[in-house]
Amino acid sequence: MEKKINHTTVTLKKGDIADLEIDAFVFYARHDLALGSGFGTAIAGRGGPAIKKELEKLGTLGTCDSVVTAAGDMKAKHIVHAVGPRFQEQDTEAKLKKTIENSLKKAEEAGIKRLAFPAMGTGFYGVPLDTCARILVDTIKVYLMGSTQLEEVTLCLNDAREYKAFEAKFSTL
Amino acid sequence: MNSSLERSWKAHKLIERLGQKLNRQVVGSLVACVHCGMCTESCHYVLANPDDPTFAPAYKGDQLRKIFKRHYDWTGSVFPWWVKAATVDSEKDLEDLKDIAFGKCTNCRRCTFNCPMGVDLAAFNRVTRGLLTYVGVMPDGVSVVSKDQWEIGNQMGVLKEDYLDTLEWMQEELQSELDDPTMTIPIDKPDCEVIYTINPREAKYDPRSIADAAKIFNVVGEKWTMPSEGWDMTNFGLFSGDDELGGAVARRVYDKVQELRAKRLVMSECGHGYRSTRCEGPNWAKYDVPFTMESSVVTMLDYVTSGRLKVDKTRNSIPVTYHDSCNFARSCGMTEEPRELLRLVCTDFREMYPNRADNYCCTGGGGAMSMSEYTPRRLKSAKVKADQLAATGAKIVVTSCHNCVDGLNDLIRHYKLDMKVTQLVNLVATAMIMPEKVKPVAVPANGATVLSATNGDEAFALAKSEKPHLLTLDLAMPGKSASEVFEELRRDPALAGLKICIITGRPELRKTIYDRAVQPPEGYLDKPLTEQSLLTNVKKVLEVAHHQS
Repeated sequence: MEKKINHTTVTLKKGDIADLEIDAFVFYARHDLALGSGFGTAIAGRGGPAIKKELEKLGTLGTCDSVVTAAGDMKAKHIVHAVGPRFQEQDTEAKLKKTIENSLKKAEEAGIKRLAFPAMGTGFYGVPLDTCARILVDTIKVYLMGSTQLEEVTLCLNDAREYKAFEAKFSTL
Repeated sequence: MNSSLERSWKAHKLIERLGQKLNRQVVGSLVACVHCGMCTESCHYVLANPDDPTFAPAYKGDQLRKIFKRHYDWTGSVFPWWVKAATVDSEKDLEDLKDIAFGKCTNCRRCTFNCPMGVDLAAFNRVTRGLLTYVGVMPDGVSVVSKDQWEIGNQMGVLKEDYLDTLEWMQEELQSELDDPTMTIPIDKPDCEVIYTINPREAKYDPRSIADAAKIFNVVGEKWTMPSEGWDMTNFGLFSGDDELGGAVARRVYDKVQELRAKRLVMSECGHGYRSTRCEGPNWAKYDVPFTMESSVVTMLDYVTSGRLKVDKTRNSIPVTYHDSCNFARSCGMTEEPRELLRLVCTDFREMYPNRADNYCCTGGGGAMSMSEYTPRRLKSAKVKADQLAATGAKIVVTSCHNCVDGLNDLIRHYKLDMKVTQLVNLVATAMIMPEKVKPVAVPANGATVLSATNGDEAFALAKSEKPHLLTLDLAMPGKSASEVFEELRRDPALAGLKICIITGRPELRKTIYDRAVQPPEGYLDKPLTEQSLLTNVKKVLEVAHHQS
């Protein structure tokens, strides 16, 4: 599924975000920036030790903050590590929106043209899928309506369940 | 638990969530307990810690019961002191709850079976775990495994390329071990009879069990495949209490079976995986499952009892005992099938006591193997299991659960028992009699040219391109069934003159050939074959053909 907002193409697809050939993808990171498990396992396994070394120099991040690193041996060139809200914390929706905005800004500052987002904070961290779909799609839409160098934004969903939850919202773009 | 006026946000969300999780089963169990103490002696933690009342199932249940009474039951509003209603306020309260829900119970349900009131403590201990994971309070191991399963698609974080590499490696091992290139592990093959799903522990630590299963499927000529995605039939949602994870994982498996149009989902030996996928998954995922789901234990038993797989039990002569997995036996009633199969493939099976639904947990259940902070407590509670194992005098303990394999191995090391752990698939593969391969050396020596095909499709293509005088067809060929290939060959006008000789070690399958509404085969040979019998039959078929022409 594909849409155009100004000059940027927005795509909805099902797949493994940590295996995309793209400029950068967003990783829902921990405050201490340790890669941990989940997509962190894929980043550590496919990217090699360089990413971990770069992260160790960066210290910690607060909620809503993000940082860009290289992606080691992965197919992507960069990773945007974004610390979003987790486990029903207060003001989840506002924090999620800010996290997405910051990720877009940091990616743009790093010269990234093609960026992919996962279903931010859903699954393990407990953000409901429909909430995430609404906030992610709306935030990206507003951002791309402004001035941007981003050429391509991909929403890469893990499975059919996630894809289905995003499909209806995406069609309103 | 304190009762300060300042309640933490997490505690507030946990209480709110409890209201959403109360169903008839949970409430029934929360209100039915009369504290009679019948559950106490049934718990392996209590047996190992007889002087510590905090291990008693009723006490553990009370920790959630108090919150329920305080916030959701009218008795807690009217006379809280009488019904011991209490709440959770602080982060410490949640940590205390975590210690009990994750660290003092394996959700084995032995207490449930011993409760005269039908209180399912494990059901609401799981609810307690679910409430805690909802607000992010869980042991590190639980978070690691849950996140892997959410994001990578399997609970051990095995990347897709590593999984596929492992299958390829096992296929090569199998072909090399048996010197048979027809042994395959098909991936994402559509329209199969069987789709085989595994525990990721097999791909990561025990790939031999995949090879053993593949050997069995190949030898019986099963039309089978393994999926490239949705292959993890385990489900950490059962252990963490996260119904959303439970539903997402189950749905991935079901969706893949549907996509590949497989008729039967066969799950390798894993107790919690079987329970999650076969029994709980359809509810968690709200999925109307249209295909059959079965444990590989049932599949293997069917192969052996139907004669599709011939076994020699004398190859497994070391004394074995059987450990009933809590999820497989107590929660799913799978107690007789593994024993029936064991008796068919082993000469010395010794029962463990107590057994079946009364068996003690391996003590590694409920995700306990992933929670290293509780290891000393777990191993202490394993004393009763170690005593059970030692009393059998067996040298091998068999179990149909990968979790139990790890739990048992750990306690065997800790209590220095002279035993090994294995699974039925390994024993069946050891006992399996490999069908004799046709040795066509005598045929070329007598002036004929031999062409070989490794499966039905190849045989058909070769017959069309090379137009041989005679084609031998083994009923146990891999891939497409021999009877289908036979009919296709017969119905192809371009192959009208082709003579076909059926070879099989399973005479009962003759029917599948002779019932076809086409011209019957010109020859038929029973296995085991000798070079002489093959040669005589080939000559006979060709001579008759020559006279007829």
